[in-house]
Amino acid sequence: MLNLFQLVLQIAVILVAARVVGFLFQKINQPQVMGEMVAGILLGPSLLGWLAPGISAALFPPASLTYLNALSQVGLVVFMFVVGLALDPTELRGYGHAAVLTSHVSIAAPFCLGGITALYLYPRLSDDGVTFTGFALFMGSAMSITAFPVLARILSERGLVRSRMGTMAIACAAVDDVTGWCILAYIVVLVRVTHSGRPASVTIGGSLLYVALMLFGVRRILPAFERAFRKRDQLSDNLVAVIVVLVLASALATEWLGIHLLFGAFLMGAIMPKAPAFSRYLLHKFESVTVVLLLPLFFAFTGLRTRIGVGGGSIWLYAAIVIVVAITGKLGGSMLAARLAGMPWRESASLGILMNTRGLMELVILNIGLDIGVISPAMFSIMVLMALVTTFMTTPLLEWVYPTRLFKAQLDEVHQNVA
Amino acid sequence: MTAYILMVGAPVLGLLGILEAGRTIAAPPSIGGEWTLQFDAGPQCAGIPASLNISQSGPAATITLNDGRTIQARVDGVTLSGESLRVSIAGKAGSRTLIGVLSLNGCGPVAFHAIRRAAAKRDA
Repeated sequence: MLNLFQLVLQIAVILVAARVVGFLFQKINQPQVMGEMVAGILLGPSLLGWLAPGISAALFPPASLTYLNALSQVGLVVFMFVVGLALDPTELRGYGHAAVLTSHVSIAAPFCLGGITALYLYPRLSDDGVTFTGFALFMGSAMSITAFPVLARILSERGLVRSRMGTMAIACAAVDDVTGWCILAYIVVLVRVTHSGRPASVTIGGSLLYVALMLFGVRRILPAFERAFRKRDQLSDNLVAVIVVLVLASALATEWLGIHLLFGAFLMGAIMPKAPAFSRYLLHKFESVTVVLLLPLFFAFTGLRTRIGVGGGSIWLYAAIVIVVAITGKLGGSMLAARLAGMPWRESASLGILMNTRGLMELVILNIGLDIGVISPAMFSIMVLMALVTTFMTTPLLEWVYPTRLFKAQLDEVHQNVA
Repeated sequence: MTAYILMVGAPVLGLLGILEAGRTIAAPPSIGGEWTLQFDAGPQCAGIPASLNISQSGPAATITLNDGRTIQARVDGVTLSGESLRVSIAGKAGSRTLIGVLSLNGCGPVAFHAIRRAAAKRDA
């Protein structure tokens, strides 16, 4: 039964922890979201549950987590809509073969290395309830994801958004995101069809029909929202509510089809009109409550599922392997591809570092993987650790490879030459 | 074009090879999820639980009893063993059963068999 007092207390504790740790991380030049992710882990069994098991058990009893999970899932649905909304296909145009090569390599290389790692980890961290194919494909897609929102925030904070490297990173991350989610959708279908008993033709045929309906049907009526916005520079509450209902309906459709409700929310965002003022308005409308209130709940829920150290001492070895492979595949692959495509070494390395940012998109994928049982609790914890390490290393590594003073000096030089 | 074939084509072909090679790798039997214990002659001792939850990561398993206590156990082949229990894992992944003995809370070894109520989140 719902204990409202406990739920409200949990939310309050999570929000305070997220804001405090986020603030502290900002002080060491890390994005706020990195601190919020760490706050979630600190509230879980890896720290609070270990240091003060009594307080942890009283604050987060297992039975109460259902409600926290439900709230965080609602937050994720809105967040995935926002991520889709921020994706602009026109950003992909005009970068030529450099962007195509870099983005494809930044998926293929870590994907392949993830598969090789799966050969070693499958008998050690999985079980025969999951096929090797499902496990390896999931490892590959989890290794190849890039946190588009975190990356965009880091670029913005460093004033790199309009640089060649920045625009290239955003274009590549957008391709990675779309490809990653398509592959993940396939894996979810693969796993769920195996275990649900529902004919694969229903899920696959239904999914294709759904995507076609969204792209060629729903997408054509969405500009009506933008036209309404242009008339008054805002949308009425009723129209905003209609958009929310469309997002929820799309999420429910994909959940019913057996993919996952987050895919529906993401696709709905991706097909929304991309006029800058309209996108900014919707982002502002949806982002604040999601980012401030609901995402920290998701981080906390992820932290409560993360048990760093479960599975014995060998877990640390597996974690080290996963982290090295993830960095080699993503950072190394992107850097080499950019260099081969003609970018200077410094910019190539910076691009690789940016593409290596996995952030909360990785956590979203890992939670889906744990929910559908394609990864074990220990594998989940290892991958969460990898997500934290690869996100944490981005800012200091970028500053080391491409210092802000150097970038600003180059920018001043360009301006002087133009003048 | 050469760079594309080398850096994208090769990993994709490599992945196909990996997926093929991986088919021969065996993972430990899946035992994660909620289990109901059944005793041939009824539970002889009050300290023996009626159900348990197994959280599995490869051969490592954490068994949580319905009173919240946990037991660390390990899967070795088709045997699950840990402090105070030794169990044989029988059947295929979809219809697995556990058959073994438990000795908890001062209760002598009690023979039981267990049926899985729900696999670990697989159909979530």
